[in-house]
Amino acid sequence: MFRLIALPLGIGIALAAHAETPTDLVARYAQQAASSQPGFSASAERGRSFFVRKWNVTDKMPDCASCHTERPDRAGSHVITAKPIKPLAPAANPERFSKLAKVEKWFRRNCTEVVGRECSAAEKADLIEFLVATGGA
Amino acid sequence: MSISTAHPDGGVAGVTDQRDGANTARRILVWDLPTRIGHWLLAGSFALAWLTAESESWRNVHVASGYLFGAVIAFRLVWGFVGTRYARFTQFVKSPRAAWQYLMSLPGSWPQHTVGHNPAGGWAIVALLALGAISVVSGWLSFNEIGGELFEELHEGASTAALAVVLIHLVGVATGSLVHRENLVASMFSGYKRGAASAAIAGARGWAALVLVIWTSAVVTFLMR
Repeated sequence: MFRLIALPLGIGIALAAHAETPTDLVARYAQQAASSQPGFSASAERGRSFFVRKWNVTDKMPDCASCHTERPDRAGSHVITAKPIKPLAPAANPERFSKLAKVEKWFRRNCTEVVGRECSAAEKADLIEFLVATGGA
Repeated sequence: MSISTAHPDGGVAGVTDQRDGANTARRILVWDLPTRIGHWLLAGSFALAWLTAESESWRNVHVASGYLFGAVIAFRLVWGFVGTRYARFTQFVKSPRAAWQYLMSLPGSWPQHTVGHNPAGGWAIVALLALGAISVVSGWLSFNEIGGELFEELHEGASTAALAVVLIHLVGVATGSLVHRENLVASMFSGYKRGAASAAIAGARGWAALVLVIWTSAVVTFLMR
């Protein structure tokens, strides 16, 4: 039983110890995107339109801004629980986009719920590019 | 889902089950009402928590089902000391060796049979209560942003491990039902199994079931206020 707990915990610690920078992640996703779209390069402008786009898939959270607000360099608020959400922009919150596993986990969860499907590597690259370009508060 | 508290009907008198070497034809009460209601509340809240785990829109349902799960565990820990015969830890927590011997006896001609939990099932209960408690506490800590990612990882790890034990438990229930030719799922609803009259528990403990329902409702209402 100890192993059952220790294993995910160990993986968690191992992943936590391995840090990336937001720029590393943009490069990584852009490279993935380029395999299906040759010549792909991340665009902050496309990232911004993705961020503010109304998907209208989920009632109370039609878009990213529902919780993260339209200013990703500022704190957001969970639309259901009203709990504060730290800023998404790395300039305002250096912990953001520093761990691949965590980034993947939240893209999986939030894309499925808000966009209604998994996000593509191109969308991920664009979004992080946009957030990196967003200055600190 | 109907949970019966009816009295034994006595079964078919005089039929002897050679496998147990005792009169097992009588329909006897084995699981008291709080054990049964607690079991299905645990199963239901755990399933609901899994279904809502990845969703933000259903976050409050996830949290409430976690509180319900935790409240039932807390009750069960107490009931494991003061409950009826087969609900007590001292009755069903056996050595790992006993659990192994039980499992090894299953494919043979003389599978070991117990009226209450079998020794392997006993360990599944201990594991589920422990993992469930870790999951609830670490979930509560993460939700209240205490301890950061460590508890988030622990919450996911403990919950995944608990799901694995649930799946093993389900395989165990199916295997046990087939090997012993008794419907263990039906028993967890009705409370009845077949066995010697002397093996029966005295009563369903309806009052304790009421305490369980009031306690769990109070915990969820208070924490979700």
